[in-house]
Amino acid sequence: MSGSGWKASLRRLPFYLVVALIVVYALTPFIWALSTSFKTEDDLFGAARLFPRDPTTKNYVYVLGDAGFMSSLVNSVIVAGGSSLLALTAGSLAAYALGRLRFRGKTPMLYAVLAMTMFPQISILSGLYLTVRELNIYGTQAAMLFAYPLFTLPFSTWVLTSFFRGLPREIEEAAIVDGATTAQILARILLPLTVPALVTTGLLTFIVSWNEYLLARSFTVTNPSAQTVPVAMAQFAGIVEQQEPIAEIMAAAMIVTLPLVVLVLVFQQRIAAGLTAGSVKG
Amino acid sequence: MTTTPSPAQVTPRSALWGALLGAIGVGAIAGLVLAVATDAGVRSAFDASLGDDRPSAIMAVLDGFGIILPVFVLGFGLIAVRLALGVARRDVGATRSARDAVTWLALLGAVVTVARLVQGTPWIAATPSPLLAVVGGALGPAVATAVAALLRRGLARAARAPGLREEPLVKREARTAWSLLVPALLILLLVAARPLETTIITSFTDKVFASDEVPNFVGVAHYRRLLTLSFVEVPCRLGDDGACARSNRGGIRWQPLPRELLVEGYRTAWHWNLPLLTAPDRAIAVNALDHIWIRSIWVTLVFTISSVSLELLLGLFIALTVHSEFRGRGAMRAVMLIPWAIPTVVSARLWELMLKDTTAGVLNRGLMLVGAIETPQSWLTTPALQLPSAIMIDVWKTSPFMALLLLAGLQVIPKELYESARVDGASRFREFVSITLPLLRPAIAVALIFRTLDALRVFDLLNVLFGRSLHSVSTYNYQVLINNQQAGYASAVGVLIFFLIFGFAVAYVRLLGVNRS
Repeated sequence: MSGSGWKASLRRLPFYLVVALIVVYALTPFIWALSTSFKTEDDLFGAARLFPRDPTTKNYVYVLGDAGFMSSLVNSVIVAGGSSLLALTAGSLAAYALGRLRFRGKTPMLYAVLAMTMFPQISILSGLYLTVRELNIYGTQAAMLFAYPLFTLPFSTWVLTSFFRGLPREIEEAAIVDGATTAQILARILLPLTVPALVTTGLLTFIVSWNEYLLARSFTVTNPSAQTVPVAMAQFAGIVEQQEPIAEIMAAAMIVTLPLVVLVLVFQQRIAAGLTAGSVKG
Repeated sequence: MTTTPSPAQVTPRSALWGALLGAIGVGAIAGLVLAVATDAGVRSAFDASLGDDRPSAIMAVLDGFGIILPVFVLGFGLIAVRLALGVARRDVGATRSARDAVTWLALLGAVVTVARLVQGTPWIAATPSPLLAVVGGALGPAVATAVAALLRRGLARAARAPGLREEPLVKREARTAWSLLVPALLILLLVAARPLETTIITSFTDKVFASDEVPNFVGVAHYRRLLTLSFVEVPCRLGDDGACARSNRGGIRWQPLPRELLVEGYRTAWHWNLPLLTAPDRAIAVNALDHIWIRSIWVTLVFTISSVSLELLLGLFIALTVHSEFRGRGAMRAVMLIPWAIPTVVSARLWELMLKDTTAGVLNRGLMLVGAIETPQSWLTTPALQLPSAIMIDVWKTSPFMALLLLAGLQVIPKELYESARVDGASRFREFVSITLPLLRPAIAVALIFRTLDALRVFDLLNVLFGRSLHSVSTYNYQVLINNQQAGYASAVGVLIFFLIFGFAVAYVRLLGVNRS
């Protein structure tokens, strides 16, 4: 067996073909869009071809000069970053209580958090809409910052609880004996240990908030200047199919997607672990 | 504070802090009463000049305040007064609880102050107001924050004062736990509980937006309209040749509904022409008072069931493939995460491009090259192709994610099981059926639940691809709420969606016997 390397490889050939097929399946729309974003108008309406006939960067220049699109990028950074920070702060405090402290009512609380992670946001859309109007933040980025904890907070709490639970108990016991307060234990001992978990959870909540569309769209119908990226992308030329600036849309799509792809490439192991911790463990 | 007072004695200091805390508690309750009494809606309920147009007082309070927030404020006020008495009595548990509560109060005040300040700035401009108004709006919260911070300092000192009896560790731990849960619970109260309550209350009213009037109670009228169905058997329209006439899309054309049903407001959601139930030239017309809603339920169910089952099969296939050892597994995992990480709106637009209805659409071109179709299809505008296209895109986006969840399940199956099976000469298929599948069952169950509940609330994809031409329950809810501004009706739709999804969740837990604890 050992000497026939190429024979073994040959036997694995069907396997690698399947793997290649999966890769093509997963990446085709992305690659197609990438190629389209470099195409000229003439190229777009001819028969479909993978490589642009004469590649141009004018679509990117156009999109980067579009004030509306650029402001939506800034809005998305504010909204996704802010709501992730909020979810991490409130979530890690709650997760510390749920994962490491003993108190009556813990199990019901855990179930409540789990139920919240699956809560259908759409069903309270009208209530949220009314609440946001009551608070006088309708049509602003603050509306999203206010509403996004609805899904980021239960998720981050759940994932962080499972991380906290996994830490050995002796760590804090020693600290308690030394007379440390809860705040000291949390800030000096446990938080440094959970930095990887916080990074993972933060990434996931960031991606999920970055991609959120339903609430963002509902809250910014009247005020385009507060739109986040998905809303801007959906409305780039309206939903009506006529004379769409397709190449520009794809250029915008690439600009929006590339940061996410880079994040995924760098943190793939952590993201995968966090996702499965959020759903499978428990 | 070097003197050591005897424990049960009321000292001037603790009495002062207790009184301040008590005042905050009483102030909260008084503020609540004042807010209700001066609310425009509530006052109009007692305005004699309005005569019979007066709204009901109960409705006015429910519409303006709900139940949860008043109960919360009332509870906070009463607990604050109780803790205040404890602080004055130098009870250590009460003092520490009060300290924790006031800490969060001060932080809440700080957050509100900052929010008020930021709200007037140009980049988050809810009310683009001049500087003075912004600062004025932040002044109240700022003062409140300062008072709370002062009180916190006093309470913290009182809690550390010498001569206090030490608390049992268990009690201390429980108090810490609840204190740490405060921000999360407060946020969820505001963004989940209160909107849920508003949705439920509003669903029984005729509330519309852009109106400050107190809505009327309409009972279950919205629910009745949403849920009323009527089934009628209708014959087909006869063509010139005596056979059933067909529309140019190929479907059989059916006779219209009986007049009295049309007058009552019934419209046909769809026709059932099933071989066993009906004669070939007859169909059961499923009619509803809101046929778009009924149709949207059907679309949502078809979308969910077909996409989730396809995803499961494909996901399982991908997971089993990727599970084996090979070089580049890490890269493979990244590739699998990419469709999940791309915003659904963006992937909808990517697919819009690939599905273009000319030869510029790569799918049309590909299928024509292999000879599967002769002319380009308009995948996104032909009614019969819309839903299948949406399902295809959803399967593309989420199968890799499903595979990832299943992969985690595969990795915990002990390798020894396969080794001993191989020793016994079991075939690969046998291995899969008797080892992999049973042990993967929990992972499959969880992945199924997650994906199903997710698919049931599909919004982004259909909204971007089809606008208003194909509705799921979510896009329908959005349309009724945002485009039609019918808050009452939209709330009833929301409540029904909640029950639909909840029903699925319960059914899953029952059927698959998931035990997640």
